[in-house]
Amino acid sequence: MTVAPGVAAMPRGQALLRGNRFDRRRLVLWGLTAPLVLGLVVFAVYPFIYLVFLSFSKSNLGTLFQDWVGWANYGDAVGDPKFTASLLRSTMFALVTTAVTLVLGMAVALLLDTAVRGRHLLRTLMLLPLLTPPVTVAVMWQLLLMPKGGWVNSFLMDLSLLSQPVSFLGSPVFAFPAISLADVWQWTPFVAIMIFAALQTLPEDIFEAAQLDGASRTQSFFYVTLPMLLPALFTIAVLKLVIAFKVFDLVFVLTAGGPGQRTTVSSFHIYRVAIQQFNVGLAAAQTLVFAVLVGLVTLPFTTAHDWALKKFH
Amino acid sequence: MSDVALNRIRTGLMGLVMLFFIFPMIFMFMVSLKSQSDIASGGFFPEQLFWQNYPDAFGSVAVATFLRNSIIVATVGALITLLIAVPATHTIVRHQVGGKFLPAFILATYVAPPIVALLPLFFLLRSTGLINTSIGLAIVYGVMNLPVAFWLLSSFVRHLPVDFEEAARIDGAGHLGVLRHIVVPLMLPGIISTGIICMILGYNEFLLASFFTRSEATQTLPVGLSLFQGDRQLRFGQMAVASLVGIIPLYFLAAFFQRWLIRGLTTGGVR
Amino acid sequence: MTAINRRRFVRGALSTALAGPLLAHPALVKLGRAADFSGQTLRFMIINPHAGSVDPLSAAFAELTGAEVESVSVPYDQITAQSTLDVMSGTNDMDVFEYWYVDKEALVRDGILADITDRIAADPEIDPDDFLGSLYDTYTLVNGRRYGLPYDGDTHVLFFNRTILERNGVEPPATWDDYTQVAKAITEAEGNGGVHGALLMGKQFPIIIGSSYANRLGGFGGNFLDADGNPALATDAGIAAAQAMLDAAPWAVPTPLETEFGNSIPVFLSGGAAMIEFWTDLGTWSQDPGQSQIVDEWGVVPMPVGGGNTVNRPALNAGFGFGVSSGSGNQDMAWEFVRMAASKEFHTRVLTDNTTGVDPTRRSALPAYRDFAPLQADAVEQAIGNAFSWPTKPESPELMQVLADELGAMLAGDKTAEQAMQDADNAWQDILG
Repeated sequence: MTVAPGVAAMPRGQALLRGNRFDRRRLVLWGLTAPLVLGLVVFAVYPFIYLVFLSFSKSNLGTLFQDWVGWANYGDAVGDPKFTASLLRSTMFALVTTAVTLVLGMAVALLLDTAVRGRHLLRTLMLLPLLTPPVTVAVMWQLLLMPKGGWVNSFLMDLSLLSQPVSFLGSPVFAFPAISLADVWQWTPFVAIMIFAALQTLPEDIFEAAQLDGASRTQSFFYVTLPMLLPALFTIAVLKLVIAFKVFDLVFVLTAGGPGQRTTVSSFHIYRVAIQQFNVGLAAAQTLVFAVLVGLVTLPFTTAHDWALKKFH
Repeated sequence: MSDVALNRIRTGLMGLVMLFFIFPMIFMFMVSLKSQSDIASGGFFPEQLFWQNYPDAFGSVAVATFLRNSIIVATVGALITLLIAVPATHTIVRHQVGGKFLPAFILATYVAPPIVALLPLFFLLRSTGLINTSIGLAIVYGVMNLPVAFWLLSSFVRHLPVDFEEAARIDGAGHLGVLRHIVVPLMLPGIISTGIICMILGYNEFLLASFFTRSEATQTLPVGLSLFQGDRQLRFGQMAVASLVGIIPLYFLAAFFQRWLIRGLTTGGVR
Repeated sequence: MTAINRRRFVRGALSTALAGPLLAHPALVKLGRAADFSGQTLRFMIINPHAGSVDPLSAAFAELTGAEVESVSVPYDQITAQSTLDVMSGTNDMDVFEYWYVDKEALVRDGILADITDRIAADPEIDPDDFLGSLYDTYTLVNGRRYGLPYDGDTHVLFFNRTILERNGVEPPATWDDYTQVAKAITEAEGNGGVHGALLMGKQFPIIIGSSYANRLGGFGGNFLDADGNPALATDAGIAAAQAMLDAAPWAVPTPLETEFGNSIPVFLSGGAAMIEFWTDLGTWSQDPGQSQIVDEWGVVPMPVGGGNTVNRPALNAGFGFGVSSGSGNQDMAWEFVRMAASKEFHTRVLTDNTTGVDPTRRSALPAYRDFAPLQADAVEQAIGNAFSWPTKPESPELMQVLADELGAMLAGDKTAEQAMQDADNAWQDILG
């Protein structure tokens, strides 16, 4: 990282010795940072602390903080098989959609990198899913997938692959894949653009050297491109994982968590506990457990990123 | 395989990929032109063009008001984000204010699911009289998107040549002067793209908006769209119309700022 | 609950504009004494499916009192949360809340609804005896005090498409076994042509899948809670009711888990299904050539029965009242609104307008209703007379969500009817302590 010489790099003691000018300077620096810090304290730290207090209390939406109950809410949270199942489901959803968007995104990025025609158009069109509000994405897929009048069903029936329309979103088998599909549709372009950008930063000469050594396209992809890209891929994976753990709108509009609990991811489960059952204390404990899980799942990816960065760069 | 054949395959693939990404939108457009019974029949093209959905959608839900609210909230929110994030990011990255902890802390706040903030922020907005106001929601978005803006902007700051700043400093410019006359102009593309991305995030947000804005005068488009879902009869045609109307401004934005947008997402790549 | 043909939220100005034509409405002239609240603004919260009620309510109240009226429509599954947040946070934007009767004790426990017992007692025009069946107590009574007045008396009846039934040589069912057989016969014969035997609403919202279950529970002679207030789901009737849903599911429009009112109505009105359990106002839409292709082709019967039970006991599915917000700064004005909305004259008016979403709550409105909707009036009257209620405990929101989840799991094939009801019963015992 670049540092403006002689300013912040200067040891603290020395800066102080130089007198008022530098005190003022530090004041300005902190002054410029303060709004951001303050904003996050109010909008992120305060809610977090509030949540911690809530999680140790018996609270419902109408009457908060009725009583302190110690770890009882946490016990209820981890002891509730529906909640633990939702954690597993969220993790599944995050891992599956991340894996799929990374593979597809990589393919699209390579296409963008190598194709002769249509790159510009594809790049523009690809932005569209990314821009579309998730609620609208959900409406689109609802229209495509509905049993009566959904294009997917009539298409499959025209091909005689189906004799009866399938209710994808109401089906225990298809509901989860359907939600994942909508998510993949929305996020693949984002991942593709990020990978494409990472591809542009790879130094040309390595590829030339590989070609001179007689490596085939496939070989140079697996032995040169992929390792060089790894750190970027892990960063993108972490981002996508975090986004996937937050998924709410798609579930809310498309399946409301059903059928059964098949698409009840944690964010939706917690929403229901808080907003439909009003058990805010329990919801707070669940949220914190969930946040820990998000950290645990993303941790290996951040570690892998550091490892790859060291190894291949 | 010859290069010519390979290129043909690539072009073909390219077509397929494009189709996958735009097909749902095209189908939604088709649905917007179908009558209720036509929708049930499930064809791709409308049997007969049914334009009535358009006036009906505007008549049954305040699509125009929702659109206006969304645009206001997203724009003001993005401006707030930039106003706070641009000086702060530059300061933090260049002068390492807050050491290693601060950047990590800023990014960590992005990880928490937004439901975390629902209740406490509701009370906060309530006690400041900002509940159910567009400005209240804009402030929430403005601050909530700070981590994203910080992340995007910091790579722009790192790509900024230090020489200019130094030169200016030697000429006697103070920190604020450097920021105003050197950093902001040089980073303008990055600032614009960050602004657009934050705008989109605000425009698309649903969960918080559905609780922080309740009257028609402040509700945003995703909230308005969700009202269709609880309807006694799902009016798919009108739903499609409202959805289309909601994304058209975004698509114009994308067409117009395409270059910046991609640059914002990709600056320096990720490592 | 009902259709939203118009979901505009009327502001004061518009209310006044609409008041003109309403003035001429003979029923309104009799709305009774009017207080003057001109220059003030009344705000009420209403469920989205009742958005068609907003115009009549606003206009009538503006006319009656001179007040400006503003409203907020929220999704029906958020009304309790939104009203609770409004009062509990101290926002107090609202004067009047619409509420789902099932959540009344939760709202009263949290101090959201104001006690209006004395106001009701002092008002000779309310005439509580005029409310149908047990509706008055079920909707408004908590621990001997009153917290609201009924607005929309929802129950289900069984609608059928006569043409489809006749084409297949079957009769409208009298028992739930018959119902399954009829559904099966039709789907087997015409399913490939896109016509199914039944629409079974099974989307996992309490108000949706819970209604389908309640219809059967009543038919088999069961109850949600026994006389002592203990869960009664894992009983013969409770399990048989769940099993009846499971039995019918394969013959219903695919798939019950995705079926709710929004996507059912178009199917039934276009002749795509032979039977549907629904709120009574479906009848008036079926007769409306503007939206229905089955005009004069449909009929209605009371809910089937099952097991050893022979007495039809319909359930109060959904059902809403209006109450005064305890945070309202002008409770006199709020009360004026609540009593107007529940008054005989106003009820008759919204009952005979198929855009408002209101089903009968008052006996005195039935003659007018009979003129308005002759085909379903009998079934409705019989249904609402001895309907049974869903649990109205403070824990009801949680209870009904658990039940909805278990029923959903059952329809998804994860559990048998018996397992699902046993699990729901156990969960209820835990919740109720």
